[in-house]
Amino acid sequence: MLMNLFSTIIALICIYTFRHYCFTLNRLFGRQRHPYVDVETAVWPPITVLIAAHNEEAVVADIIKALLEADYPREKMIIIPVNDRSTDRTREIIEAFAEKHPSIEPFHRVGGKPGKAAALKEAMLRVNTEVVLIFDADYIPGKALLRQLVAPFFDPEIGAVMGRVVPLNVGKKSLTRLLDLERSGGYQVDQQARMNLHLVPQYGGTVAGVRKSALDEIGGWNQNALAEDTDLTYRLLLAGWKTAYENRAECYEEVPERWPVRVRQIMRWAKGHNQAMVSYIVPTAKCSSLGWFERVDGVLLLGVYLMGPVLLLGWLLAVVLFYTGVQIGGGLTVLALGAFTTLGNFAAFFEIAAAARLDGSRQRIRLLPLTLFGFTVSLISVSQAAWQQAQKSLFGSAELVWDKTERSRTAPVLDDSLSPAASVLRGAL
Amino acid sequence: MWLWAPVALTAVTAALLALPVTPALYELWKRSDAAPLSTTRHDGRIANFSEIFRSRLTPLRPQLEQCHTRRELSRTSIEGMQVLLVGLKDFDFHPSLTDSIDAVMLSHSALIPAGRVVEADVYADGRLDLGEGSALRAARGASDIILGKNSAVLRWLHAEGTIRMRPGSTAYGRLSAGQSIRLEPGCAFQHMHAPQILTLDSQQDDSQLDDSHLDNSHEGQDGQGDTRFVSSKLHVCQTQDAGDVANSAPDQGDAFASSCKRLRIQGDFVLPAGETLNANVIATGALHLGPGARLLGTAKSYKHTVIEEGACVHGGIICGGTVWLGPRSFVAGPVLAEADVLIARGARVGEPHALTTISSCGVQIAAGCQLHGTVWARVRGNVEV
Repeated sequence: MLMNLFSTIIALICIYTFRHYCFTLNRLFGRQRHPYVDVETAVWPPITVLIAAHNEEAVVADIIKALLEADYPREKMIIIPVNDRSTDRTREIIEAFAEKHPSIEPFHRVGGKPGKAAALKEAMLRVNTEVVLIFDADYIPGKALLRQLVAPFFDPEIGAVMGRVVPLNVGKKSLTRLLDLERSGGYQVDQQARMNLHLVPQYGGTVAGVRKSALDEIGGWNQNALAEDTDLTYRLLLAGWKTAYENRAECYEEVPERWPVRVRQIMRWAKGHNQAMVSYIVPTAKCSSLGWFERVDGVLLLGVYLMGPVLLLGWLLAVVLFYTGVQIGGGLTVLALGAFTTLGNFAAFFEIAAAARLDGSRQRIRLLPLTLFGFTVSLISVSQAAWQQAQKSLFGSAELVWDKTERSRTAPVLDDSLSPAASVLRGAL
Repeated sequence: MWLWAPVALTAVTAALLALPVTPALYELWKRSDAAPLSTTRHDGRIANFSEIFRSRLTPLRPQLEQCHTRRELSRTSIEGMQVLLVGLKDFDFHPSLTDSIDAVMLSHSALIPAGRVVEADVYADGRLDLGEGSALRAARGASDIILGKNSAVLRWLHAEGTIRMRPGSTAYGRLSAGQSIRLEPGCAFQHMHAPQILTLDSQQDDSQLDDSHLDNSHEGQDGQGDTRFVSSKLHVCQTQDAGDVANSAPDQGDAFASSCKRLRIQGDFVLPAGETLNANVIATGALHLGPGARLLGTAKSYKHTVIEEGACVHGGIICGGTVWLGPRSFVAGPVLAEADVLIARGARVGEPHALTTISSCGVQIAAGCQLHGTVWARVRGNVEV
């Protein structure tokens, strides 16, 4: 029985290894799809930009300033800062902007269910436009970003759009440098390859857009979802809407600078993703309106955070089986085991290396061996998250809690005398 | 001796283990590549390069005026760029004068002689003519720019007025104009933007291009007689119940055409000749609009899209294959194709007051077409001979 379990784990690892290699090789040598990137001129639709803000006094001014500078018809843009029960100066800062700019319509939320999904659900009641863009408060959009995120909505099949997130505070700590590489792999290779191959690019919840009629059709934001982004991706997919990824719609973000913050962040992602997996893995596998490759990719994407504990279990079983002297079978099993212990383990790192090459950043690739450390921390964190969720489902416990990521920026970085891009880079350096 | 052996073994083992991570530790210490990745900072507009060029040269305008008054040449530099200021009227871009010059700034109209190659960027305060077979790196003109037969522009070209490309001329890179771009048969291009882009028959000269033929407000009066520029929208909408169209067609400015009812078809979709459909159509196969058919939303197909003669699409076209726009057909919104876009005589894309984008690998346009906005050929575009 242990041997069967071990074989299953090896098979799963091999499937994900194959997936990593497919994505990476596609990005390096395949045909690249950027179908909406050249839409320079159009009758741009009215849009609403939602800024999710919970105690964001240090950063909220920057994103509002950057949005006011955006290259989008001013009369067609409404900015709604969604101040979700903040107890700091967030409200005061937003109101100061709203007094000067009529296109800013603040929404101050003082009660109700905590969490971003719940706040967005209430904010959507104030939205009258078909296209809604969503940013977290610590992001700093560039001038052309809004148009790049809106362009895919000219395609009537697109229900959501996701842009690329680029870490701003890269040089601050060793952790931020590792996360920079990890983000590159995730967006530059993973997301874009899924776009190239007509698979399932993931809506990421920020630097993103959603079509209101599509959202209404699927019942709006799911307040019970810990990862409202993954939840939305799959509900849209099952309802016949696609998510588009725009690799050149880039936006700076802050990544965690302390390991405890990073651990909490990835545990929250893992719990939210696993929650979505339980809800949508069977409907996705059975959905007849999706192509076979879409279904397979959708299922594999749902399972990514479960691979952490699966891998740990595989390592444990390997030790147990070795000391109990179990024969591991024929040549194919040995080959699979070899892939698992060598190439398989490194497929994700190959992906990161390819991403760094595509980004043209040659020196930072030297840090690749250290990502093994970040990988180990993530592995333990997502396994712990999965264990907590398993305990909850077995024994019952308190409701899942939405945990806000701690910001490291302590004051606005945008300088009125400089363009947003220039002051962002000055702040980062 | 026996005491040193384990120490040496441990040291060598540690060194071997540390070797693979040495570059990583070195990079952590040196931080040679620790800046944020650069993101797209410009606004993506085709005229960006020429705008940057203009803003760099603006401080030299007083000097240029001085050269103009004195009818002289003057060399200067700004931001590390060597600039030749030209106040002479008969300047001929002789290589001996433009050697090691990055930019030539002229205070008046100019002609680049036939067969001459100019490696500097050019700014002309008047009209700029490229002689037959000449080549230019980049230019910005305060008035019109005319590319002679078989001439070429290698990087970018911008005219405040009109750009006219004579037969066989080629514009690599970016081409933009404040008023219009007029292309004759055999022209090649990549990216272009203008409120009005026209493809002409080679026998037409500028005097035949009375703008009244091109302005929608005049179409009802005299546009129908000129088959080259008859608006297919006018044609179709007048032959149908115009009131019905007005009531059902979404106004992009307010309602965003992509938002009307969705019709998802597994396989091919055909809208028969003369039929009208108010929906966004998504076909997982090919999509075909028959002659005179009207689609009041956007058309998306995973394979090819064919818009027959006189058919109208009031939204855009999104296509996984090749788009063929038939004679006198009309598309109001963006035309985005993952393969090519082929445009037949008399077709129109966009409107003067509602510019839009055509984007694909290749674009082939017949004579007598009107496009409004941006044409982005990722590989190459050309006008049929």
